[in-house]
Order: sequence, then structure tokens, then C-alpha cells
Amino acid sequence: MALEKQPPFVCYFGILKKDEGQITWNGKEVQRKHVNFGYLPEERGIYPKTKIYDQLMYFAKLKGMKQKEADEAINYWLKKLEIEQYKDMTAEKLSKGNQQKIQFITAVVHNPELLVLDEPFSGLDPVNTELLRNIIMDLVKDGKYIIMSAHQMSVVEEFCTDILILNKGKTVLQGNLTEIKNSYPANKLEIITKENIQDRIKEANLSILMQKENEYEIKINTEEEAQQLLNKLVANKVKIDKFEIKKPSLHDIFIEKVGE
Amino acid sequence: MRDLWLVAKYTFQDLVKRKSFIISNIIIFLIMIIAFNVPNIINKIQGDDESFGKTKLAIIDEDNVYEGSLKQLEQLDIGYEIEIMENTALEEVKEKINEEELDEAIRITKGENGIHIEYIVKSMSMMSEVPQELITILQDTYKNLQISKLQITPQQLNIINMPFEMEVSQTEEKEVGGNILAMLLLSIVLFYAIYFYAYQVSTSITIEKTSKIIETLVTSTSPRTIVLGKTLGIGIAGIMQTVALVVVAIICANAFLTPEMVSMVLDMSNITWVLAVLTIVYYILGYSLFALLYALTGSTVAKPEDIQSANGPVAILAVIGFYLSYFTMMNPTSSLNSFAAIFPISSPFCMPFRVMMGIATPSEIAISLVILIITIAIIAKVSIKIYSSAILNYGSRMSLKDMIKVYKNKND
Repeated sequence: MALEKQPPFVCYFGILKKDEGQITWNGKEVQRKHVNFGYLPEERGIYPKTKIYDQLMYFAKLKGMKQKEADEAINYWLKKLEIEQYKDMTAEKLSKGNQQKIQFITAVVHNPELLVLDEPFSGLDPVNTELLRNIIMDLVKDGKYIIMSAHQMSVVEEFCTDILILNKGKTVLQGNLTEIKNSYPANKLEIITKENIQDRIKEANLSILMQKENEYEIKINTEEEAQQLLNKLVANKVKIDKFEIKKPSLHDIFIEKVGE
Repeated sequence: MRDLWLVAKYTFQDLVKRKSFIISNIIIFLIMIIAFNVPNIINKIQGDDESFGKTKLAIIDEDNVYEGSLKQLEQLDIGYEIEIMENTALEEVKEKINEEELDEAIRITKGENGIHIEYIVKSMSMMSEVPQELITILQDTYKNLQISKLQITPQQLNIINMPFEMEVSQTEEKEVGGNILAMLLLSIVLFYAIYFYAYQVSTSITIEKTSKIIETLVTSTSPRTIVLGKTLGIGIAGIMQTVALVVVAIICANAFLTPEMVSMVLDMSNITWVLAVLTIVYYILGYSLFALLYALTGSTVAKPEDIQSANGPVAILAVIGFYLSYFTMMNPTSSLNSFAAIFPISSPFCMPFRVMMGIATPSEIAISLVILIITIAIIAKVSIKIYSSAILNYGSRMSLKDMIKVYKNKND
């Protein structure tokens, strides 16, 4: 059954019973009714034939808001997400990206303490991604707690302070993102130059991981090796456009951990 | 409780604001108004031209069997425009029928064993038998002619024509009242109202599931609130529409029909307050039963095209329940009808009818109601449990085995 694919969120929301463990909030064991939370599911969905405003009002009220405060909050968010003009339209007439914004409003309209975002950026164009990115950053600044799930590690790296990687229901990596990244030594060197430096790299006993036109990705074991190569290139008057020693990205760490 | 009302209100508004709902209601009301006016329209058309609709009939008494007494038939108002033809050749009459100057003709001759009647029509595909009405008229006229010849006194005539008073009595104590037509009407209306609205619950749940709105919804309120709120919201819409239909029917009946016409179809004396209240109670309970069953099947559907097959079992239950009460109505004092009045899937269709007939005892009604309410409570419990698991299952449609598994897991 597809139930097994659901993230642990459904347990938290009390839809499924948990097998074991505890769910705590501020140190106390809690149930769903004790925490003011908002949820943006991975599955995008809104009522296709209902007016945007009406369905937002419905969800706001279900979350305990009064008519007036709900109205204010809905208008605030519609404006902030730049979709005010669609207020009286039915949802089926909106583009996918705009439908996703509507669904985002249902998650935040009641000003929750905890926000659970399941793949918030999938399906958004760059402009809307930027818009949502800024809003999420603002929410973080306002002291909201955000739990986010994502498959693009770049998104996780950008937003998250603490991460947890699950593979087949088991935790494979957990902790503070910066600490985790620091625990991995630099292992890559990126050089961009208009000259051919293949021979120089071979002379330095280094192997090329990837070469694309005048872009080189080189495997290194220590930062020292990279510095030596740089010195050599400078001595030979090679013009360098970019030189960067890279720590493994979360993407690489993920592949290493999950691929094991 | 607040959430329950919110879900009910939203579901209600969502249903009644739909264009299809508004249009179908307008069509139903128009059809009702037209249907109630059918007798008036027919009268209107006939009223304009008195001879309209009357069949032009020629009678030829070749052997003078009636001795001229047929002449009096020309004065009768019997739906025939009768013309007695003397000295007219048969061929001429047949030609007139062919040219549609005449509709039909009757040729009377002396036969070997009695009087021979030949009924002449244009085509036997339209009329292959002599109408009973004409046979009676011809026989009576002949009888009257012969009686008058015998010079019988009116007293003697009365003795011959003694009227018979017919009456049917029964040996069972319970007396059956009401008329079959009204009962069938009540039972059919109840069935369609219950079935149609219960089905809407399933559709509503499936729409939420297939449009993936359900995840947002179940994190905003509890599955129990959703199932009960939906059932309530659609139920209110159903009651309001049914009440509107009944009101329109009553207004139309008063405005367009004469009281005699109404009493031909419905014996109003059988409709009491007790019957009205019990009918509404059974309507609500019957609706709740099937709506909750539909909530269960609706939540197991992942794709809109699966709705039909998932809802099949509930439709079969409803049809069995309906026919169980429908067929036993012909024999209302049978034990099968008593059973149908208590069995929960048929009692909503059957009990109001037994009450109308005056054969339901108070204890029978009480038992039937208790069984129905307990069944609804059990189904509500099971439906909500399965609903809360099934709604997040987006794979293939859940089988009965899956549902039982889910139910057991939930109970552990």
C-alpha cells in the first residue's frame, strides 16, 4: 500500500498511529491538537470549482479563525504572494504555480508556530521560487519553526540549519548542517581558465573528475595539493578566471550516505 | 462541533451553488408545472372545438333489426358523432372512410344465429376490435326495444335490472387502508431522494481525494468531522430540495387541479401528522445509512473512473432494500413485509408505507427505529475508521481485504 511512502508527518498529524517513540514540543509530549501548525502537502490540491477566497476562508475558519481576522489574513497573504487579482476566480482557472501559492496560504493563514513544508519548491518557476524563498526566510526571521522535506539538496542547504536524511525509513544522517559539512574535508578543486592545463594537472599527479570546455573539476585529498597546483599555474603565467577549493556538497554527502 | 458545522455549511454551499444543481432543479420544477397542467391543456384543446376528438361513426341497419330505434343514438354525448344511414350503399360508406370523411362504420345485418355486426375501419392496425362501449350501446338499445315491445311495467323492469352491491371483506383483524398508487409513489420518492443524495456524499469525498485537497483538509480538522460534516451538509441540501419539490407539488395541485382529480391519485385522509413525521425520520435515517456507506466506498477510490465500481456494492444493497419493500407491498400483511419493515436496508422504504396502511404497531416501529439507528452508528464508526486510512492511499483502489486489514490495524 502507498501508505508506507508517506513521510512521518502523517504520524505527527495523528492520521496514523505511531508504532513507537515520542513526539514532543517544547519538551512536552504532545498530540496534534496541542500544536498550532500549518502543512503544505507534497500533493498539490485545491477545490477546482470553488472561488479562491471562499476556500481560503473555509480553511482559515477550520483552523479556528474568526471571520474578520481570517479576512484580513487572507488579503494580506494574497497581496504578499502577488495573486490578489485571482481572489474571485475559481481555482481551476489558475496556473499550477498560482494554485501552489493558494495552497501555501492555507498552510500559513492562521499564523502557525510550526510550519511543515513538503517539497515547497517543486513545480515553481524561478520568479515564484524567489518569491517563496523570501517569504520562507521572513518566516524564519519571525521565529517560526519550519520542517521542510526536499529532494533537491541545494534547497536544503540554502534553508536548513538542522537536517535528517532518511533512507528506507531509517535515519542515515542527522545533525547541524554546518557541523556535518565541516566534518567532511575539502575534496574537490574547480578551475576555470581559457588555457589548456590538462598536462599541468597530470604533472601534479592529480586526476580530473570532469572537464567541460575550459572548466576543470579535480579530485584532491588535501587543500595543500590545490595550493601547489595554483602556485605552479601562476608560475607558468596561466591566466585563471576561477579557482575554488570545494567541500563536498550535501548532494555529494547524500549520495555517499544513501548509496552505501 | 464548530468544525462540523463549517464542513456541513461548506459542503452544502458547494452543492447548491453548482450550475448543474441549479439547472436540474429548474428543469424538474418546470416539468412538474407542465405535468400538473396536462389535464387543463387537454380540456383547453377539446373545449375550443366540441367535435374535436369525436369519432365520426356511421351505422347502417340493413335488415332494419332495430326498427328505427337507432335514431336516438344521434343525440347521445358519448365521444362518437353518430350518423344513421339509410338507403346508403356499403361501397359508398367504405369510400367515405377511405377518404377520411368518416372514421368508422357499423353494418348491422341478420345473421344465422343472431344479429351480425360488421365493424368497418380504415386499417385494422389502428383498431382491430369492436370497442366495448359500442357493444354495450348496441346491446342495450336492442334490449330496450324488445322490452318495450313486451310491455313490461317499470316495477317488473326494476326486478329484472336489480342493481348488485359489491363488497370485499377479510378474515384478518388488521384492516388495510390507503391506496397502492400513493404508497408506490411514496416509496419511490423516498428511494430516489435517499439514493441520490447518499451518492453525492461519495462523489464529494472522491472529488476531494482525487483533487488531492484531502491532505490539507485532514490536517485542518479530524476525519470524523469531515465524514459527518459532509453527510450532514448534503443531507440538509437533500431535505431542502425534497421539501421544495413537495411544496411545488402542493401549490401546483391546488392551482391547476380540481380536488376530485387529486383525490383520484392520493387519498388525503391517509396522510396524518404521525405518518408525515415518521416519513421524515425514516428519510433522514435512511439517508444517513446509505450516505455513510457511500462515504466508506468513496474514500477507497483514488481515480474518478473507479467511482462506479467502488460504489457498486452499496447500489446493490440499496436496490435490494428497495425491492424487498416494493414487492412485499402487494401483500402487506405477509411476514416478508414485516421483515422488510425491520431489516435496516429496507426499513426506510417500507415502514412509512406500513404506517400509511395502518398496519404498523408502535412496538414494531420502535424496534425498526432502534435497529436502524444501531446499524447507522456501527457503519459510521467503521466508515470513519476506514476513511481516515483510505484517504491517504493513492494507489489502486482498495480491496475489501485491504479495508479489513486497515480496520484491524486501527483497532489494535
